[in-house]
Amino acid sequence: MKECLVIGRANVGKTLFVLNFAEFLGRNEIDLVIRFPNGFSTAKRYTIDRARRELTGLGPHKTRCLQSVQLDIPYGKGRKRVQLTDTTGLIDTIHQDVEVRRAIAQTLNAIRQVDLLLHLIDPRGIDRAGARAALGEVDYQVAQFAQLRGRYCILANKMDLPGAREGLQRLMRELPGQYIIPISALYKRGFKEVKTFVSRHS
Amino acid sequence: MARKGNPARVSFSVGKVSYLLEKGDLSPVEALEILRQQEEQLAFRGEEEKSRLLLEQALQELDALVGLEPVKKLVRELQAFVQVQQLRRQEGLLTEPLVLHMVFMGNPGTGKTTVARILGKIFREMGVLRKGHLVEVERADLVGEYIGHTAQKTREQIKKALDGILFIDEAYSLARGGEKDFGKESIDCLVKAMEDHKDNLILILAGYQREMAHFLRINPGLRSRFPIHIIFPDYTMEELLEIAELMLRQREYQLDKGAREEIIKILQRSSGAAVENPGNARLVRNIIERAIRRQAVRIVGQEKLEREDLMTITREDIGDGEEE
Repeated sequence: MKECLVIGRANVGKTLFVLNFAEFLGRNEIDLVIRFPNGFSTAKRYTIDRARRELTGLGPHKTRCLQSVQLDIPYGKGRKRVQLTDTTGLIDTIHQDVEVRRAIAQTLNAIRQVDLLLHLIDPRGIDRAGARAALGEVDYQVAQFAQLRGRYCILANKMDLPGAREGLQRLMRELPGQYIIPISALYKRGFKEVKTFVSRHS
Repeated sequence: MARKGNPARVSFSVGKVSYLLEKGDLSPVEALEILRQQEEQLAFRGEEEKSRLLLEQALQELDALVGLEPVKKLVRELQAFVQVQQLRRQEGLLTEPLVLHMVFMGNPGTGKTTVARILGKIFREMGVLRKGHLVEVERADLVGEYIGHTAQKTREQIKKALDGILFIDEAYSLARGGEKDFGKESIDCLVKAMEDHKDNLILILAGYQREMAHFLRINPGLRSRFPIHIIFPDYTMEELLEIAELMLRQREYQLDKGAREEIIKILQRSSGAAVENPGNARLVRNIIERAIRRQAVRIVGQEKLEREDLMTITREDIGDGEEE
């Protein structure tokens, strides 16, 4: 079974993407395997509704560990099982809370070990940041690292919000040749393309 | 898009990058930059160098395990043996056949599966196995319910494990049912596979020491086919305490004097004759997890809580180690 890591900045919508993608694939309930930075792990069963209520939030760094869910993705006449793993959000600077720093270290450790990377970017930020340093430093580094490894795709999230379309154009200029799928994790838009990408590369 | 590069910290190990990140000496951006530079270097140096680095990482992983000194020593010996045999072959000298089937003996929670997994990585990077993955099975995965079913099930698992390691937990259970049991059929099938796939399959039989020794005694044919026997000793009291303190440190808790004494008492009691599987890391983990829950219950109602109170585990939290 291949592992697919969902990474990106804090508050870009990674957890919501994972939960809604699971729902998109027909799941009402998930068994979430939670791996803490100290090496311990536990499993918990959630309905998608409850998971959305409890695991997502408006503030950054709601997720502070690796949270995996196993999903069956239709492929040809069969199915492929994939482990989709949600991670702690990345930031440009050093976070003051040691727990967050530890969780970020866990995310970066995992980046090297997984088979597939889905990198969520909020394109609206790119539009606001202005021309030159448009793409944030951390997203830029993730993209550079992941391009070397292959099996990597950018998901431009929050496309339902104003300003996203312009941001997407800028993102495409910043990372020419990179496969970018515009999505809305909230409204499950673009998920069909994500499903095709994941199943093809797993 | 041009970005400024960060000067050489490329040689940092993965562990060091994590440590510096946690400590706050490195930002995620800097860490990612190091990872990227390492990846570039790997791509540049080619496959051979990549294998060497990955081998180093696997050995580091092994060294990071608490205790297990005899196991670590044996793994190093194996590594040297394989390397020398490969060099001898290159020079056209006679080589010993690389029979690496093993028997792991030890109580649960002493690291058998973990070591097997690391061995898989080591053998992959040394070119002994192409994939080096671990397929973990037990009796139920191998033994069928009617005539012919067992061979089919066993062969399926063998097929999955080709180019890697087939790890049979509690292997002695294959000989459990006496003459008429299908377990025998499974053993025969495994022996045949060991001959047929001697270059691309490693078999590891694992289980309690006493039962495994008995199992091999009554199956002499098997014994001769497994040249490597590794005994996983139970952790010593000091190692278990080290593990306990490491677990607590990682979670930002600390033991007071009474709690430490209480843990020693529980560990001593559990290593007594009455308990089947003494000293293992899982027991320590259970004690710690329970203590953390009990500490929470103890302090949750208190009005004024200092940082120290939130961190300290007392004798009362450890209790007698039993669930109420």
